[in-house]
Amino acid sequence: MKTTYVSSNAINQALRYSMLRMQADLTKSQKEMSTLRVADVGLALGSRTGLSVSLNRDVARLNSLMDSNALASSRLASTQTALGQLADRGEDLRVTLAAALSGNADPGVVRDDGSAMIEAMTAILNTSINGEYLFAGINTDAQPIADFSDPASPNRVAFDQAFFNRFGFNQDDPAAANITKAQMEAFIDTDVVPLFTGAAWSDWSSASDQPIVSRIGLNETTETSVSANISGVRKLAMAAVLSGRLMSGNFNEGAIAAVVERSLGFVAEGVAEVTDQRSATGVAETRIKNATTRIEMQVDLFERNIGDLEGVDPYEASTRVTALMTQIETSYSLTARLQQLSLLNYLP
Amino acid sequence: MSLSTALNIAQSALLATSRQTSIVSRNVTNASNPDYNRRLSMLQSDAPGVHMVSIQRAADMSLFRANLGAVSSYEGQASLRTAIEAMTQAVNGIDSASSPATAIGDLYEALQFYAANPSNASIAERAIDAARQVVRSLNNGAAAVNAARSQADRNIAESVADLNGLLAEFKTANDAVISATIGGRDASDALDKRDALLKRISEHIPISTITRDNNDMVITTTSGATLFETIPREVSFQAKLVYGATTVGNQVMVDGVPLPVGTGGDTNSAGRIAGYLQIRDQIAPTFQAQLDEIARGLISAFAETDQSGGALPARAGLFTWSGGPGLPAAGTVSPGLAGSISTNAAMDSTVGGNAFVLRDGGANGAAYVANTSGAASYSALLLGYQAKLDEPMAFDGSAGAGVSASVMTYSTNSISWLEGIRKSADQAELAKSALVARTSEALSNATGVNVDQELALLLELEHSYGASARLLKTVDEMLGTLLALAD
Repeated sequence: MKTTYVSSNAINQALRYSMLRMQADLTKSQKEMSTLRVADVGLALGSRTGLSVSLNRDVARLNSLMDSNALASSRLASTQTALGQLADRGEDLRVTLAAALSGNADPGVVRDDGSAMIEAMTAILNTSINGEYLFAGINTDAQPIADFSDPASPNRVAFDQAFFNRFGFNQDDPAAANITKAQMEAFIDTDVVPLFTGAAWSDWSSASDQPIVSRIGLNETTETSVSANISGVRKLAMAAVLSGRLMSGNFNEGAIAAVVERSLGFVAEGVAEVTDQRSATGVAETRIKNATTRIEMQVDLFERNIGDLEGVDPYEASTRVTALMTQIETSYSLTARLQQLSLLNYLP
Repeated sequence: MSLSTALNIAQSALLATSRQTSIVSRNVTNASNPDYNRRLSMLQSDAPGVHMVSIQRAADMSLFRANLGAVSSYEGQASLRTAIEAMTQAVNGIDSASSPATAIGDLYEALQFYAANPSNASIAERAIDAARQVVRSLNNGAAAVNAARSQADRNIAESVADLNGLLAEFKTANDAVISATIGGRDASDALDKRDALLKRISEHIPISTITRDNNDMVITTTSGATLFETIPREVSFQAKLVYGATTVGNQVMVDGVPLPVGTGGDTNSAGRIAGYLQIRDQIAPTFQAQLDEIARGLISAFAETDQSGGALPARAGLFTWSGGPGLPAAGTVSPGLAGSISTNAAMDSTVGGNAFVLRDGGANGAAYVANTSGAASYSALLLGYQAKLDEPMAFDGSAGAGVSASVMTYSTNSISWLEGIRKSADQAELAKSALVARTSEALSNATGVNVDQELALLLELEHSYGASARLLKTVDEMLGTLLALAD
């Protein structure tokens, strides 16, 4: 009689193999249940592992962009405040000059206001944060504006020299009383203006024309600083210097009128241009804000994708652990029973 | 006459039973020996009433062959999977944490901080440190790949030595089988030993066997080279001690024929030797080429270009190599680049460089300085490098991770490539180990021992022994009665 044959060794081995598999699965499932992430990303995703690495890396990159955007935003906010102060001071000077033009003001008041304006401008434009000068363009380690109130300062020397070259005496010389309105206008238009608009501006400013450029998105860069060399600043400086230095008591009325007229023109243009710059700065601020919002959304999306790729359903993981444990326990008791199941135990 | 015949028959029955009992006890002793084939005792009636016991050995050649094949493919797959796993972990780390891809991502972040704070010396140093990390990751990766290859080479040498030893043992076992068969003796023990050796040989190399007259066995590899015929044939292999990027390993020769190398993650390499050959000659070199391409991509992404308008050639910037300051040839693998890539000494403060050179340019002389005014917050070059990391460039298709991609993407493609192979190797190993378990079980069921059955047989033999003894006693009594009559 031939029956299906089973060897004792095969019975033991079969249980052992399935036992090993279940125990390996159990450790894997336990890990997944506690981390809520697949136990081995490479084995779970195979050739899609690169995608998961790339997503994780992009999330880190985007987060670093958000950090640097915060830095650029704070720089722009400081710039915005400083430009606002500059425009306010310019506006104050304009009011004084307008009053002087209508003949109501003492030239001394205008002069004091002009000098104060020069000092305030220097202080505002030399603002620094984190050791970097705000208005220096990319040349952030050098103080951008030279101090005009210091008689030895190159911009002060250049201005006084220009006056002397034109008239042959200094502002406080008695002969200054003879300067006519036309002479003064000619001096301002041909000698003073180039000091501020031409290459001589380097006596005033060591700032770079190039503003700081920052990356605000993975494929987006924008200018995130304002240079002290913008035309609005130059005009305000010119108005302040004219009213601060050319309002000496020695000048006659015609010369003073020329100075006041020209100063008023420059200050009005300067305030308008600085205000334009403020709105441009506001646009940059908005761009960064929008970019940051976009990045936040991208990070959310990427994290969701990562979750879809690597995540494990906690409910499923815990059911699997429970099921495996039950199976293993069954297997244990089965082994114990099988070991007893021997003819030997029944023989007398 | 008939009484003495009965006595003789009972006597031979006792003899036969005790021999059968000895076979049962041998079977029971070897119940858990996987290399033991169950013995069957066959009773033959010779002269009337005389029983001879002959021993048969349970065997199933087709199941045995299936088992040998399964063992070979499993061992090939397992050795491949283990080696890939070790290499992946050594190069990319757990969850790709120390991979070049991750290091490049960190470098990008460091550049982002640097570009946002170009005047800050410590942030500049951090960027250079991130670059050092990238270099370390590539250098270590290249070293790990070479280590994986030389490890595989050593394993092959060990396996070949083992195999030659096993073949020599096989000769002894085969001779014993032949002489037992010719002499008409029981060859079972010799056959058990020979089969056990076949199982061990098939772990190293896939085999097929032919049995000739007198149970003489010939072994060939499945690809047809002779391993054993009357005497063992030589399996030769020359190990190499050190592996570099361009080292080509020696072949394994079986009887003068080179052993073929398998392909794929679910490999068709069977036997350990083929698995090691595959990692040494295919997977590791391809991965090495990918690391070299990543290194080349980095060197060219950070190359410095002429700023003076003098049309000078581009030179290696932040990353340079043993052939610097020129750039490696575009679009083709430069073997060993991942091992020789380094940070530029002009920018590395640990060797006397200055981290601000990365911001300003000029590691290769004044013509390459972009920030001519030396402004502290110049960020154009840094922003440019960042963009370059994301810009597609041409890669060598022979490295197997794409032809056009950014360095960033190429580095993750490489991870995908390796993990893809690892996953299919792991799944195939599972399937193949299940096949080994299944065929071993089938073989064991066909040829192994069932203790219960042997015990049942023992009970039967006990009864038959008792009956024969009773017969002897009865005949003895009958003879006694007869003799008493004669008194």
